[in-house]
Amino acid sequence: MKRRDFFKTSLVASAALLGESAFGDTTQMPNDSQELSKVAFPEKRPLITYSDRPPLLETPRDAFTTAITPNNEFFVRWHMPRIPTHTDIDEFRIKVNGLVQKHIFISLKELKEEFEQVELTAVLQCGGNSRSAFKPQTSGIQWGSGAMGCASWKGVRLKDILKKASLKDGAEWITLNGSDKAAFNKTPNFARELKIDEIKDDVIVAYEMNGEDLPFLNGYPVRLIIPGSYSDSWVKMLENITVTKEYQEIFFMDVAYRIPDNKTESETPTTPALKTKPITTMNVKSLIGYPTSKTRINANTNVTLKGVAFDSGHGIKEVLISTDMGQTWSSSELLKELSPHSFREFKYRFKPTQKGSLTLMAKAINRLGEEQPFAKEILWNHGGYKYNGIDSVTIEVV
Amino acid sequence: MKKIALILLISLSSLNAQYTKKVQLPHISFGVVIDKDFGVMQRNCQWCHSFGYVTNQGKQSREFWHKIVLKMRDVYKAPISKQDEKTATDYLFRNYGNGKI
Repeated sequence: MKRRDFFKTSLVASAALLGESAFGDTTQMPNDSQELSKVAFPEKRPLITYSDRPPLLETPRDAFTTAITPNNEFFVRWHMPRIPTHTDIDEFRIKVNGLVQKHIFISLKELKEEFEQVELTAVLQCGGNSRSAFKPQTSGIQWGSGAMGCASWKGVRLKDILKKASLKDGAEWITLNGSDKAAFNKTPNFARELKIDEIKDDVIVAYEMNGEDLPFLNGYPVRLIIPGSYSDSWVKMLENITVTKEYQEIFFMDVAYRIPDNKTESETPTTPALKTKPITTMNVKSLIGYPTSKTRINANTNVTLKGVAFDSGHGIKEVLISTDMGQTWSSSELLKELSPHSFREFKYRFKPTQKGSLTLMAKAINRLGEEQPFAKEILWNHGGYKYNGIDSVTIEVV
Repeated sequence: MKKIALILLISLSSLNAQYTKKVQLPHISFGVVIDKDFGVMQRNCQWCHSFGYVTNQGKQSREFWHKIVLKMRDVYKAPISKQDEKTATDYLFRNYGNGKI
């Protein structure tokens, strides 16, 4: 066990070293010094704001002490500039068309009354979360660590909706499209495609988030929930499901949100991977919510570090904490698991004795035994996707 | 001409009728550099996104910015003319460049 771990680590480390010697750049910690905007968006408190059109809002680190992220702190990411405001809910329909026996138009009322209602808790994370860690910098929003959140979602199984429309023979794929629109007709739509026989029971069309209507900026009135997958698949303001026989070419699946299709999912700026694949499944990750780099702690007082960890649904086995730059690790206390797909809270009590800077690190291990690598071991990809380095926060002990 | 105006009016009013609750997104100024070529940025970029997309990217090489401009034209289909392609790249590199070509 130990030896295998060592081997694994040294492999990764040597690959990282190779990358370093060739380009003089290594992955660093994601940006952790962004300021909150002074301006609040509808149904949100002031968040880290990268753009107002389309809205790009990041959750600050200190929100990640609890398994559920409050709606008004939940991150926001849109791609298209034209986002319809709250539709008159009586007029709203989800249209199911294509290879179906009958085209159906489902109102929100029907969704709530004529289908089995399902509730689940799951993490929503942007594939580019923590992108600012990658060096050389990749194009795309330079997110810190807060393009993620965990909520309890209530809705209806996608499978049940398809059943209601009765699929025709040969139906194999569905395209899901939201109400947001580009400025130009020729701009590719932000749509998603799913293979029908791969849709699991926990893929739902949700209308409720943490017991409330979805906030406008998180996709009101309904959005797709795909636990374990990155948020580029969780179509917001879902209004159309088209059933097809053949896979349709979609820009945001066939060109964007892709990573190298090789063992390490990595490439270099000068030798891009020839074969790529969609980012899909999330890897194991953790984040310290308290303390933060702004925290001052008196020496010889008891401190409780708090944070959250998650993966793609295998569940978290352990979160380890280091106070000596990763030389030694101690177990933290894991709190109750809300679901295998949710944030798992962890706590670690300690008492700093020496004054000065103190770096705290958190490393999550999932039930498959997969663990977070050090930031500098994370290998580069052109889109800056899937960063999951060991988290680190440096505080002042005074 | 009148017909077009009427159709526009109808489609706008029906759009309004769909909404019961007004959600207004705030406007944020991202403090982008305003120089002689800023007009080119205004008429080409803002259709789809704010200048936050520029400032957030940090200092980059000329090649990096040129690729971004091309991506906006070729992938996202922004109608950027040959002249504006060059001017926008010049603007981005001049104000958000890292000195590397």
